[in-house]
Amino acid sequence: MSAEQVVEHVTCLGCGCACDDIAPLVRQNRIVEARNACPLGRAWFGDGTVPQEARVGAHTVSLEAALTHAATILTQARRPLVYLAAELSCETQRAAVGIADRLRAVLDSATSEIAAAVLAAQRRGRVAATLGELRQRADLVVFWGVDPAERYPRYTSRYAVAPGGLQAPIRTVVAVDVGGHRGPGDADARVIISADVEVDALGVMRAIARGHALPDVPALRPAVELARRMMQARYVALVHDAEPDGTPADPDRAEGLIALAQALNGPTRCALSTLRAGGNRSGADAVVTWQTGFPCAVDFGRGYPSYRPHDGAAALVARREIDATLVIGLPGSVPESVARGLASVATVAIGPFASAAAFEPAVAVDTGVAGIHEGGMAFRMDDVPLPLRPSVAGPPAAAVVVGELATRLVSP
Amino acid sequence: MMRAERLRITGGTVYDPANGVASVVGDVCIEDGKVVTELPTGAPRLDASGMIVMPGGVDIHSHIAGSSVNHGRQLQPEEHAVDPVPAPRLDDPDGEGGQPTRSGTGGTIPSTFTTGYRYAGLGYTTAMEAAVAPLFARHAHAELDDTPIIDAGLFALLGNDEYLFRQIAAGEGARARDYAAWVLRAAGAYAIKVVNPGGVELWKRGAPPRNVTGLDDPVGSTAVTPRRILETLTNAGNELGLPHPVHIHCNALGQPGNAATTLETMQTLAGRRAHFTHLQFHSYGGGRDKGWQSGAKDVIEYVNAHPEVSVDVGQVMFGPATTLTADAPVGYLLHASSGRKWVNVDVELETGCGIVPYVYKEKAAVAALQWAVGLELFLLATDPWRVVLSTDHPNGGSFLSYPELIRLLMDRAYRDEQIKRVNAKLLKGSALADGLAREYTLNEIAIITRAGPARLLGLTEKGHLGPGADADVTIYAQGGDAATMFATPRYVLKGGTLVVEEGQLRRAPAGRRLAVRPEYDDAVLPDLKRYFDQYASVSFENYPCAGSV
Repeated sequence: MSAEQVVEHVTCLGCGCACDDIAPLVRQNRIVEARNACPLGRAWFGDGTVPQEARVGAHTVSLEAALTHAATILTQARRPLVYLAAELSCETQRAAVGIADRLRAVLDSATSEIAAAVLAAQRRGRVAATLGELRQRADLVVFWGVDPAERYPRYTSRYAVAPGGLQAPIRTVVAVDVGGHRGPGDADARVIISADVEVDALGVMRAIARGHALPDVPALRPAVELARRMMQARYVALVHDAEPDGTPADPDRAEGLIALAQALNGPTRCALSTLRAGGNRSGADAVVTWQTGFPCAVDFGRGYPSYRPHDGAAALVARREIDATLVIGLPGSVPESVARGLASVATVAIGPFASAAAFEPAVAVDTGVAGIHEGGMAFRMDDVPLPLRPSVAGPPAAAVVVGELATRLVSP
Repeated sequence: MMRAERLRITGGTVYDPANGVASVVGDVCIEDGKVVTELPTGAPRLDASGMIVMPGGVDIHSHIAGSSVNHGRQLQPEEHAVDPVPAPRLDDPDGEGGQPTRSGTGGTIPSTFTTGYRYAGLGYTTAMEAAVAPLFARHAHAELDDTPIIDAGLFALLGNDEYLFRQIAAGEGARARDYAAWVLRAAGAYAIKVVNPGGVELWKRGAPPRNVTGLDDPVGSTAVTPRRILETLTNAGNELGLPHPVHIHCNALGQPGNAATTLETMQTLAGRRAHFTHLQFHSYGGGRDKGWQSGAKDVIEYVNAHPEVSVDVGQVMFGPATTLTADAPVGYLLHASSGRKWVNVDVELETGCGIVPYVYKEKAAVAALQWAVGLELFLLATDPWRVVLSTDHPNGGSFLSYPELIRLLMDRAYRDEQIKRVNAKLLKGSALADGLAREYTLNEIAIITRAGPARLLGLTEKGHLGPGADADVTIYAQGGDAATMFATPRYVLKGGTLVVEEGQLRRAPAGRRLAVRPEYDDAVLPDLKRYFDQYASVSFENYPCAGSV
């Protein structure tokens, strides 16, 4: 590719918005400009340069040799872990779960970082909508302790605020500041709720939506007023960040948001919009669910999937129960709680920048990044599946490398 | 024996209703995955003496793959935890379709691999995923790629989509047809599915009435009504010459008195081919202030008298189920009345999704009525080719309950025993309570579980054992009751590959995808692109599944 070329309708996985209108300008297999992308997206695309190495220890080897060595490590392990990191297509995730099944391994992903929210949704269910539905219908958008401008830059311009909707030509935006987590600065109204009463506030709002009369508590008055305002709207988008600052989700908060959104569907309509980071994290939940019945933290040790949401990768690595790990995806996206234990375990890393992994894998195979060098499918934060369109050539595709590894694994 | 190039199934008692063969002892010859008339002597043989030979089962309506199914799966870790499924051990893992088998979990919504294995283990070799939002079709195909053995297609949800409404309001029937054809191709779908036409849109609009109450309620514009939506899509399906006509989930599902709506819908479309799905959920008498009773008799009498109408029953079976529907307002009502956990997903400009786990209890009056209404529809039907078996899996119960349902149809003494066990409060005056003597024959069972659904779907190479048919064959050992016989086939062949042997899964080849590619006038595309650019949150170019348009 020496001539200049623009690749159209490319999906960006820089955050969970998964904007699919990006048009990278490519010259000599380098991305010169990621047109239409936000700053986060431009950083995600970069110039498309990634390392292309296969290594055993410090030595560069052939891909064949690396995979053979990797297969030896994994098949000899007593208690292997397969970890799905970010930046993978669903096709690679599907193959990776197959490897975990075959190895009778523990399987986990970044989804466990939001396990509290996942478990709350398993207890209660959830009310959701695709982002286009919020755009067309929401006449009231409530940002609960989040300003999407920071981590989801185009959320408001593409989805829930700026474009007029078919059923909501005019809409009102309410920012809810919860402690230090502030809503958007340019909202039409602002509600301030102190962090220590957040869960109470959600409970009171739910009670009001369900028609209960409550004693007056001064600290909760702003929440009461907001609940009344939400009940007056025709369709409420309640927006929260599932992964604020990488801090684990508070289980009571997660459940409170779901319960409030559900209760509002009595007097009006409401959908909870859950903001999530990029790299096809939502795809991992979906794939692991359809192949095993559970969204994350699955133990194949008994020869079938068991769900261990409170005892996933981080806990097992910390207890040194794991004797070999296969990390598939971008090593830098592995949460610190898991990564810190990997240096002392024989680890195989397959994914973009695997050779640069801080935990010094025993075997590293660099692959391309899904959506930049590889095609396939990825999920937007609202579970809308989108095609990935590669814009530059890169190292061997992760889906191919993982498939090659699978053929080298014999059943235990 | 891996995949035999040639195989003669000898000495079985063959039921092949599509070819007029009922209980005839004979051979079935297979070559290169197809049924053939004859084979050279010396071809390998499978002795089926004393056994029953039928085409592989065909499920016309099931929910097994895609976004809403997966939300239902994720919602219920508790049912998966108690039904673990180790990877089946194949006798020849490196042979035909030599992918290693996969473990999984069961329950009312099994994991994908387990779904494929369990369907095959039941003697079913084809299934239709009956409700896929076109926006989510890519996801449904990925799940079907992970669902082995069975051939599968999906139905694309239309009838609550803004672009269609605009064409109806503008009187653009031809453009509506072109649009439907384009959506079918974009989604890689097999048929058009309509769910609660107009009602899902009103639920999403937020202001009362949050559903339609009759066929002439306006949906935004007075020019757009459930009746107009039904007529437009039924005509589109027939004018496009689709192998399966429009597949209709009527308005007012699950409401007392809805038989009147169902009959009015059928009358509206009189003379036009249309398929009415899970009819049981739409055949209740009584009314909002009058309570519940059976309306099965009136509805099935209409069906019996109108050869252009076909239905599947959507039987309710006692035990756990998951209600899982694009009819999102129904999901809300179930949640509000039961207090059970609930998923709702509004899908932009297309459809909705509602999920509530459920248990049908014998001692619950409404559940018992639903059970009875389904049986009445079966037992009062005069043409089994047009009244076929389904439980609307997993809505009325799991597909694993089909054998039990078959026994209820075939065995009056058993059925009468079961009737005594259920809450009879709402059964007074129903045909079932008054006594229905009919017992289905094996040939009729072969019609409602394979020959009939295949014919209604227009699958000319499925559901029969004549020359040119796909070599999908199920062989049952006789003895014991009908439920046992149908639950555990002795042999199952899929495309000539022996997938079940001696009741054990032996091979797990990949299934094929069934899809239509109707022609449409390209002139619709610029208008569609403008619409997408203005209203959709995904690019027009990224909407179709790879290579489908």
